[in-house]
Amino acid sequence: MAEEPESSLQLPPSIAAEGEGPTEVSPETATPEPPSSAAVSPGTEEPAGDTKKKIDILLKAVGDTPIMKTKKWAVERTRTIQGLIDFIKKFLKLVASEQLFIYVNQSFAPSPDQEVGTLYECFGSDGKLVLHYCKSQAWG
Amino acid sequence: MEEDEFFGEETFQHYCAEFIKHSQKIGDGWEWRTSKEALEPPLDDFEVTEPTTATEVIKYEYHVLYSCSYQVPVLYFRASFLDGSPLALKDIWEGVHECYKTRLLHRPWDTITQQEHPILGQPFFVLHPCKTNEFMTPVLKNSQKINRNVNYITSWLSMVGPAVGLNLPLSYARAAFQDEGNVNRQDSSIEPKSLEEP
Repeated sequence: MAEEPESSLQLPPSIAAEGEGPTEVSPETATPEPPSSAAVSPGTEEPAGDTKKKIDILLKAVGDTPIMKTKKWAVERTRTIQGLIDFIKKFLKLVASEQLFIYVNQSFAPSPDQEVGTLYECFGSDGKLVLHYCKSQAWG
Repeated sequence: MEEDEFFGEETFQHYCAEFIKHSQKIGDGWEWRTSKEALEPPLDDFEVTEPTTATEVIKYEYHVLYSCSYQVPVLYFRASFLDGSPLALKDIWEGVHECYKTRLLHRPWDTITQQEHPILGQPFFVLHPCKTNEFMTPVLKNSQKINRNVNYITSWLSMVGPAVGLNLPLSYARAAFQDEGNVNRQDSSIEPKSLEEP
């Protein structure tokens, strides 16, 4: 069903700590299913157990924001919006002057500490959480 | 729907009213206040007193005003310790959420400034409104594409608020669309003249 490759969003802790470590996350290389690939499989049933830990997120670009090659991600429920923002910014190679916003319902930006698991409970449908993202030079 | 969203003052009032409705439902304390003795341009404000946080006893106060010159809402805020002493701009910056810090520190002078509240006449911090249209437009356009009625105030506040300690409860996200059935842009229950006519 899914046309695009799906990846597990494996965010090492160092991303949250804004370290300039090696690019641990690279969907292209991570696509060869990691051992615990149970989280995401195109169109098939997800094994029990792991489904509790991860949720499916579909990322959609707004405006002139670059579209991510990989749009569908399996993300741990406890991942925060801030973590997701950091990840997308790195992925899209945004510069410091650029802000990235993430929205539920296409218009509401959850606070950065919000966990995606909670958002999934509130706004998810069809087994996934759709999040729109938009980059902006402007702020304020 | 016009290309450029004309966010007039009455549209501002309408969205604030919807926002307040939800606020009253969940009891998070926003109020609508009209300054009766304003001699100046008709700015309305609403004021909230945030309960002090459990970890640091700092009281934040947020006001949303309408800027006639920029034709967008503007967020005014101030913070003080329990003894009433105000926080300085550098303290405010320290409180800014991590994910905004880089952007803010990049060009601090066009983001948070200190200004006199136009009605209260007291010093407040202000999120400069000059770029608001820039970051609001893609969101609004995107929603218009699917005929979704977005509460500008809710959307805007959700985006700028967290940077200065104001986090809207998630229920606002759903509330923004609950009035879709009640208020249609072309068929409004408030003064139709003031809204954008096709």
